[in-house]
Amino acid sequence: MRKPYVQRQRADWWLRNPAYRRYMLREATALPLFLYTLLLMSGLYQFTRGEAAFLAWLELLRSPWLLALHGLALAAALFHAVTWIALVPKILVIDTDRLRVSPGAIKRAHQLGAVVCNIGLLLLVVVLLSNAGGH
Amino acid sequence: MRRSHEPIAWSLFGAGGMLLAFIGPGLVLSTALLPWLAAENPAAAHAAIGALLAHPLGKLLVLACIALPLFHTLHRICHGLDDLHLPAPRLPLQLLCYGGATLLCAVTAWWLLTSIPA
Repeated sequence: MRKPYVQRQRADWWLRNPAYRRYMLREATALPLFLYTLLLMSGLYQFTRGEAAFLAWLELLRSPWLLALHGLALAAALFHAVTWIALVPKILVIDTDRLRVSPGAIKRAHQLGAVVCNIGLLLLVVVLLSNAGGH
Repeated sequence: MRRSHEPIAWSLFGAGGMLLAFIGPGLVLSTALLPWLAAENPAAAHAAIGALLAHPLGKLLVLACIALPLFHTLHRICHGLDDLHLPAPRLPLQLLCYGGATLLCAVTAWWLLTSIPA
């Protein structure tokens, strides 16, 4: 067999094209979201250590560094949600003789679902915790 | 042909991506506001979270909210470092990312199952 031809790619290939820069930004949302997941794990760990440890963790969340991480993670989660759902109609294609759903309808249904789920979760947490505080 | 781990990695990546799109922003905003929401009666907030963690479905939910984002983000970081031409061999990087995600996921499941009274 001949030696296969491998096209060389520069390490800064993604800097030259705005679409590639957006692609890298989308992939980079993983970093703050990974750190945020570790923060969730630390909260669970402090919960296993008892009430005092968990309440101390809760107070720690007020620190500027962790608020900044939350802000960054929120921006990353929003950018991820928008770009992820934009890709759904490219992967979920419903185009058969029996059933045909347009890509636009699939995207809008996922957008609506994501908005409802995100706001629903936030409202659930706010209502449950404010009820817990009232009794 | 050697079997690829890619279908498993990609399924977990896809599930994590869907979960993060549907509840990621809401979850981040919830924990950002948590100290203020719990300020009025911290003990009651602790009890409410304890009730969630004590229920088997609650455990499953919390495990999903930690494990799937772990696999999703570490898959993206693994491929992202490759895109950036990280001068390192691929296999140890994959072992670190997918092994790390598996390990952290196992630790989370262990805490949920053994350290929290049902």
